[in-house]
Amino acid sequence: MMNIPAFIWLIGLLLLAAPLIYFSGRLFPKQERFLPQVLTLIAFAASWFAFVQAVLDFQRNGTSDYMIGTVALQMDGLALLLAGVGLLLGTLVTLYSWAYMAPEDEGVEKFFAMLAAMVAVIIGLGCATDIFNLWMWFEAMAVTSYLLVAFYRNQPHSLEAGLKYLVQSAVGSMLVLLGISMLFAQTGTVVIAEIKTAVVPQMVLLGAAVLLVVGFGVKSALVPMHTWLPDAHSQAPSGISAMLSGVVIEAGLVAMLRSLSAVAGVSQSWALLLLGFAAINMLVGNLMALRQTQVKRLLAYSSLAHMGYILLGIGIAVYSGQVNGAEGSLFHLFNHGVMKGLAFLSAGALLYTLHVVSGSHAPLTVTDLNGAARKYPLLGITFSLALLGLGGIPPLAGFLSKWQIFLAGFETGSLGIELLVVFAALNSVLSLAYYAPLINAMYRLKPSDSVQAGKSVPFSMSLPLVLLAAATVVVGFWPGLLHWLTAPAGNALLQILGK
Amino acid sequence: DDPKAVRGGLKALIITQIGGVGLLVGALVARAQLGTYQISALFEGAGQLPAAALAVIAFSFLVAAAAKSAQFPFHTWLPDAMEAPTPISALIHAATMVNAGVYLIARFFPIFAGVPGWQVTVICMGLVSALVGAVQALTAWDLKRVLAYSTISQLGYLMYANGVGAVFESQFHLFSHALFKALLFLSAGAIIHALGSRDMREMRGLGAKMPFVRVVFLIGTLGLVGLPIANGFFSKDLILEAGLEHGPFWAYVGMLVGVGLTALYSARMLTLALFTPGESQKHLHDASAAMRVSLAVLALGTLTSWLLVGGFGGSLAATLPFHHLEAHALGAVIGGILGHLGTWIALACAAVGIGLWFLRARLAVPATLSDFLTRAGAQDFGLGWVNQAIVAGTTRAAEALRRTQTGYLNWNVFGILGALVIVLGLIFWGS
Repeated sequence: MMNIPAFIWLIGLLLLAAPLIYFSGRLFPKQERFLPQVLTLIAFAASWFAFVQAVLDFQRNGTSDYMIGTVALQMDGLALLLAGVGLLLGTLVTLYSWAYMAPEDEGVEKFFAMLAAMVAVIIGLGCATDIFNLWMWFEAMAVTSYLLVAFYRNQPHSLEAGLKYLVQSAVGSMLVLLGISMLFAQTGTVVIAEIKTAVVPQMVLLGAAVLLVVGFGVKSALVPMHTWLPDAHSQAPSGISAMLSGVVIEAGLVAMLRSLSAVAGVSQSWALLLLGFAAINMLVGNLMALRQTQVKRLLAYSSLAHMGYILLGIGIAVYSGQVNGAEGSLFHLFNHGVMKGLAFLSAGALLYTLHVVSGSHAPLTVTDLNGAARKYPLLGITFSLALLGLGGIPPLAGFLSKWQIFLAGFETGSLGIELLVVFAALNSVLSLAYYAPLINAMYRLKPSDSVQAGKSVPFSMSLPLVLLAAATVVVGFWPGLLHWLTAPAGNALLQILGK
Repeated sequence: DDPKAVRGGLKALIITQIGGVGLLVGALVARAQLGTYQISALFEGAGQLPAAALAVIAFSFLVAAAAKSAQFPFHTWLPDAMEAPTPISALIHAATMVNAGVYLIARFFPIFAGVPGWQVTVICMGLVSALVGAVQALTAWDLKRVLAYSTISQLGYLMYANGVGAVFESQFHLFSHALFKALLFLSAGAIIHALGSRDMREMRGLGAKMPFVRVVFLIGTLGLVGLPIANGFFSKDLILEAGLEHGPFWAYVGMLVGVGLTALYSARMLTLALFTPGESQKHLHDASAAMRVSLAVLALGTLTSWLLVGGFGGSLAATLPFHHLEAHALGAVIGGILGHLGTWIALACAAVGIGLWFLRARLAVPATLSDFLTRAGAQDFGLGWVNQAIVAGTTRAAEALRRTQTGYLNWNVFGILGALVIVLGLIFWGS
């Protein structure tokens, strides 16, 4: 037992806890409002111990490996970052959802079990070293997220979103599987490191790489494979929206990069492909968000744009081996998780007080925000900080990570990339045109009737908001605080992409 | 809440943020070239930078400065920002924030001066802003908008001064302008507060009921026109003289036209707001005691701040060591101004402007011309149209794009497979 490294505990604890959480609710239905939630929190608390230990191990010994049967798992900097984001959001969403899910009549134990399982498989996905197991973790993540997206099973919109998500993800998975099969047929192995050194015909390599990019691109919401995202992210319970936007699509991106590393290293043509997707994602995400009247849909579209910024940094890293690009984009991945999580949870808290608590599943519209800050000053502040951070206003977290990506772009000395950075910066300006009116509505307009009639926000929902808002500010002032997490992740990314 | 104010705020945010992108680009180019953000390192290393990199830094800083300081063609946000409460306008739209861009250019002038075409661009930007702002001020009826246009115009003088290398002169006029424009804004605020309207056509008979405001507003106007002994007289003449000596002659002539226009619109503003006789329907009060204190301090400052020219020059020279500025004592500066022919030319131009206002009934100004200017001014000489076109184009693109989110699963899957085909095609074509 003692020989099992901490990071395996990190995956295993939550994975083992998931069925326990479920059965606790089923076997003791009278404690349904209490027992699953407590067990989930205990599982997350234990995982934090494992995480700290894993971080200490990593800082002492660097990358560590562990074999379970023939399956090799590896904790490197990239996996550590993904684990950190997943664990942070998972814990806070659990705390938040205690009250948020309370008005539901049934199935709450499934919700928490799936949430714990989702975080576990995200951490596992980060640690996969062969493309088949990578795909397995990825599918497991998808399964947990289908059920959570379609959680409101009596709501037609929720089911529609879940179905679209299911079908499109399945198409993506099929493409990924096809790519994996091609590589396996040629090389006889699925281990990433071995495929890298194997001799494979160029056509097969290229074909497989494209299948992997497009297939995983569905889950990481690259335009035009993104059409499931606005429905899924806006129809899910708000805690799950935060998870989906804050870590699940990013996990899809990590899966894509890991698998791509088997077939394509640092090269300009792959960089151009990623940069192309970055540009389209930024523009389409921002333009689509501009005219939205539903707050959660607007935030969902803004995730497309932020995926674009993350891809921009990665594209720069792939183009030139720029460590600033890799580190900046992973820093932005973390910040986006925190800020978008905060945005969805703040919007969700309003949705809760205005609709959910009275059993309604109506969407939160922009007019619902009118004057909200007068009645809910805390929500006004946390939502505004999230939106300003997402818009890249200094000195919040989002500004610093965008800056690092932009700087990396200028350090390449390539005019095309410099122009792309200017394009990205102008896109950030454009995004203010839909973030700012939300803040204006909350602070300057007269409270709407629905806001006046709203209930109060429970403490267990406010606490995660305060913590995430504090992180948005603190990381903005002291970006170096996260260097221990983002620098190894950036280096790991460059290392796996280097041929 | 007033939707016009929201639109104005959003416009200000977006345009100044576009300027922010300029500053960002300049800073990133400098950092990528030099490995540090230190301004002193940029000053020392500027000579070794590739010419193209330095040019990019210089021009992108100029975009930032133009957006922040409301210079042509980025000036359109300032008049719309006048929906803000008047004390805020006085503080950020006259005295402090809008000066940031001018200061940015002043601060970096020594390293950018050598970039081909940069100085002349700065000069043109200042000249055009000075003239455009003045013409728009001449045609507006909203008192605060007149002041906003006049701020654009005066900041044009500061930008022009920077362009001809007169860093000290630009910063000294910045100081004067901050005082007299804050005074004008706060006086205007007192008027608007009492009257409840900003339309100068409704200010008939106001001056007689607000004698205190009338006096301080007059003092502020002296500063704006540049008449002795207000501070604007000295600082604006310093700019014009520097322009005559170091800048192109055509630009100097243009700025003199600006002096005449400034006098013209100032006379119009003063007459309409406070010197039009008539019976006001409303029961009006002069400014309150607290307002009077602020106004009196600013009025005193407007009349006397030029006495500080020696100390101001010394501190500025110490603050900006790379500029090698020479500070002169008060006596020398005043002597220089009074003995300079340019001073009297500028005064003559101002006199012509004022004279035009009083002779306006006898001058047959073609109605078509004044109509054209009024309409063009209201549209920011076509730039308002450009702004609207950008907003409308973006909105239309966003609306058109929404059609791609069909909601039909078939099309969604088609999108995935279409992307697959396109990416495959691109990759095989590229390899």
